Amino acid sequence: MSVHIVTRRDFLKSSGLAAGGLTLGIGFGAGTALAGDASAASETELNAFVHIAPNGDTVLYCGRCEMGQGISTALPAAVADELEADWSRVTVLQGDGDEKYGPQGTGGSKSINVMFTPMREAGATAQAMLVTAAANRWGVATERCYADNHVVRNRDDERTLGYGELAADAAKLDIPETPKLKTPDQFRYIGQPIPRHDMADVVTGRRTYGADTRLPGMKYAAIRHVPVMGGSVKSFDAAEAKAMPGVVDVIHIPRFENAYGSLGGIAVVADTTWQAKNALEKVQVEFEPGPHGSYDSKAYKAELVSRVEQSCEKVHERGNLAAAFEAAETRHGATYTGGHLSHSPMEPMASTVWVREDDVEVWASTQDPAGIQRTLGAYLERDPKSVIVHVMMAGGAFGRKFKCDYVQEAAALSKAVGAPVHLTWSREEDTRTGYYHSLSAQRIEASLDADGNVTGWLHRAAFPAIRTTFDPSVERPSEGDLDAVSGHPYGIANMQVESGLSPAHTRIGWYRAVYAIFYGYAINVFTHELAEKANKDPLDFYRQIYANSTNPEQAEQVKRSLGVLNLAAEKAGWGREVPEGHGLGIAVHHSFESYLAMVVHAEVDGEDIKVHRVDCAVDCGLVLNPDQATAQMEGAVMMGMSLALYTEVTFRDGAVVNSNFHDYPVLRAQEAPPEINVYFTNTDARPTGLGEPGVPTFAPALSGAIFAATGVRHRDLPIKPMTV
Amino acid sequence: MPESLTVNGQPREFDGDGDMPLLWYLREILDLTGTKFGCGMGLCGACTVHLDGQAIRSCLTPVSTAFGREITTIEGLSADGSHPLQLAWIRHRVPQCGYCQAGQIMSAASFLDSNPKPDRDAVDQAMQGNICRCGTYNRIKAAILDVAGGDTEETA
Ligand code: FES
Ligand code: FES
Repeated sequence: MSVHIVTRRDFLKSSGLAAGGLTLGIGFGAGTALAGDASAASETELNAFVHIAPNGDTVLYCGRCEMGQGISTALPAAVADELEADWSRVTVLQGDGDEKYGPQGTGGSKSINVMFTPMREAGATAQAMLVTAAANRWGVATERCYADNHVVRNRDDERTLGYGELAADAAKLDIPETPKLKTPDQFRYIGQPIPRHDMADVVTGRRTYGADTRLPGMKYAAIRHVPVMGGSVKSFDAAEAKAMPGVVDVIHIPRFENAYGSLGGIAVVADTTWQAKNALEKVQVEFEPGPHGSYDSKAYKAELVSRVEQSCEKVHERGNLAAAFEAAETRHGATYTGGHLSHSPMEPMASTVWVREDDVEVWASTQDPAGIQRTLGAYLERDPKSVIVHVMMAGGAFGRKFKCDYVQEAAALSKAVGAPVHLTWSREEDTRTGYYHSLSAQRIEASLDADGNVTGWLHRAAFPAIRTTFDPSVERPSEGDLDAVSGHPYGIANMQVESGLSPAHTRIGWYRAVYAIFYGYAINVFTHELAEKANKDPLDFYRQIYANSTNPEQAEQVKRSLGVLNLAAEKAGWGREVPEGHGLGIAVHHSFESYLAMVVHAEVDGEDIKVHRVDCAVDCGLVLNPDQATAQMEGAVMMGMSLALYTEVTFRDGAVVNSNFHDYPVLRAQEAPPEINVYFTNTDARPTGLGEPGVPTFAPALSGAIFAATGVRHRDLPIKPMTV
Repeated sequence: MPESLTVNGQPREFDGDGDMPLLWYLREILDLTGTKFGCGMGLCGACTVHLDGQAIRSCLTPVSTAFGREITTIEGLSADGSHPLQLAWIRHRVPQCGYCQAGQIMSAASFLDSNPKPDRDAVDQAMQGNICRCGTYNRIKAAILDVAGGDTEETA
């Protein structure tokens, strides 16, 4: 077997910490730690995250899901820091789905936000227990002992005891209620560019992903989905397919009406994926399109535009917009659109499921193991706790792997054939049956006074909301969905926010940065347009807007937005001379509690758009790992550039027309901006996430750069749509 | 009649449908899962391996093409992960999710064999068939140029 699978059922047993801890959100409440089952594991469990073997080898568990964002290094490094562990003695393992790890659903750039302090506490409590164990051994006061790089030292003599020698004793002690945490100047790993723990495995092909699970007796499957949401399989003929070599069975999976359920389809189970795929092509199938069979995304976008160009449902109002518009020196309005996006991680949806009589075992690339337990529990009518979920490394996810329809399908197949079944979707199915980023239309109108101050702002938005996936009766964005607009730190005194009718005709999901993509685009590009109307440089104009934003409740947001804006402008040399055909653009946006500003230097030559340089300024509070944080920004620039220029999923007759990377092109190596500079304000403020916040500023900054270069204003994303 | 081929220096016998793409033979018969599936159409490069030292897309190459010849996958690029590109990938901290990286490294290795001292443009051209959705392109290029010795800029 080429795959090592960490099946550590002993850790799946409720640790006892979880029950007490859940009330605290996560569990290091007072209580007695359970020592690891000595017969089953050589390591002693000091808490769910910290296990130490007699020889001192230490395993740190990561409860959050890894998909390339580096969380399985960042969080364990925080544990190790407070633990005073020697990083070279540490192995990081991915925790299975288990509530003892606290919330594991990995999205919304929340891992750092939510888990940083609990992880430090996990390390600090374990460290305190080791120190107490040493003090007891020596018969001295704990104050006379301290932890130092994997040993406890006695202050009064030269004696030391290794963590391995102490772990078993430490595990018998009470978990301290209020662990003492380090001050930032004492950090040894936090804030350092610690390399990812799994690099050597990645570059040698040993790192195993959801697509790489191999089990004895395992079968492989291929699937073709009902192409339209809410449609069904009308009829199919599998006779020819069933007679093909290696085929075990051809199975109709009916639609599972659950937010994370399968769209339904026909699957072939065979000895290899290739045989399954070949046989699938021979299945004659007729689909019933259902209620969304006439969905045409181009026409729908036009419809949303016409909706936002008339008055919609008011969800927020302040000041007196009518009076502001009346008194305006200048008024301006513009409409912005964006299309559906497919996440298209390089690893398509992949999972392996083994449905057995008493339990179910899952190996899946996932962002949400608890979601798998819930969904499979509901689908198989079993106790969700009987579903064992091994969280596999995801080969990219970007929000898509929060939804586990592909796991439920593998469960349906395993149940049908009575064997473990591995299912990897084809790229075509991945492109065509996703949970898409909403297409959108926004209309903004604003008034300026004679000095170029923005006095009024009307903002209408129409887009199928993510909530439609959970509640199909949702017909328009809610007040909450529009918070980022009404609560924007511009703090315009006279404002009205309206929501346009925009029901969904496909499944909508979270896509890296979510609504911030189109809000960030429209608000920034419109700001550039207002600057032009006011005859001002865009940077000066941003500064003027923020200077006018005096609501004390938004002072922090204003300060941090201005901070990154000024930093990016300074580092990029805003205002510098650029050659003919080149231009600089700037944008600022905050999302998921992190603040971003970007300056893009682009060149336009006919149809050709080249980006030469990007300067990003980031305020995410304390930076836990500058190298990984920089990598997230680089990735965000590339994804921002893909969606700014190319990516759009098009629906016709209810189904997606795109299929693979030729008609859903993403950014390639030769187009990557050669120079990406990332600057962090790096304050001591509470650290916030960076998986998503880098994405929204790129497209509007590029739009600004193109305008500076050519005088052409782009209001629609993508800028260079592919005709499919 | 089983056919023979060599995979990572090991002789192998293949008895089956020679039309099977090499990718699935490697991943599902030999359980060499380091080579990845990304598109199945030769569009992404995730499945890149070497056939007699040349980079090929294994998703489009029937296993029969490899009969009597030598296949190298990421698992066999070096015995212990010490190929200069593997080391450079670690130095430059290239991978994010890492899923595309076996294909990237295999493409880069065969490219450097044929052009040991490329400039940045040549690297751009050589690597355009390998998609990285996580966006690690600049670190990939820096790592390749580092190995080529022409440009030792650090990205980390
Ligand atoms: S899987 Fe072969 S090129 Fe994409
Ligand atoms: S590192 Fe994730 S696709 Fe390249």
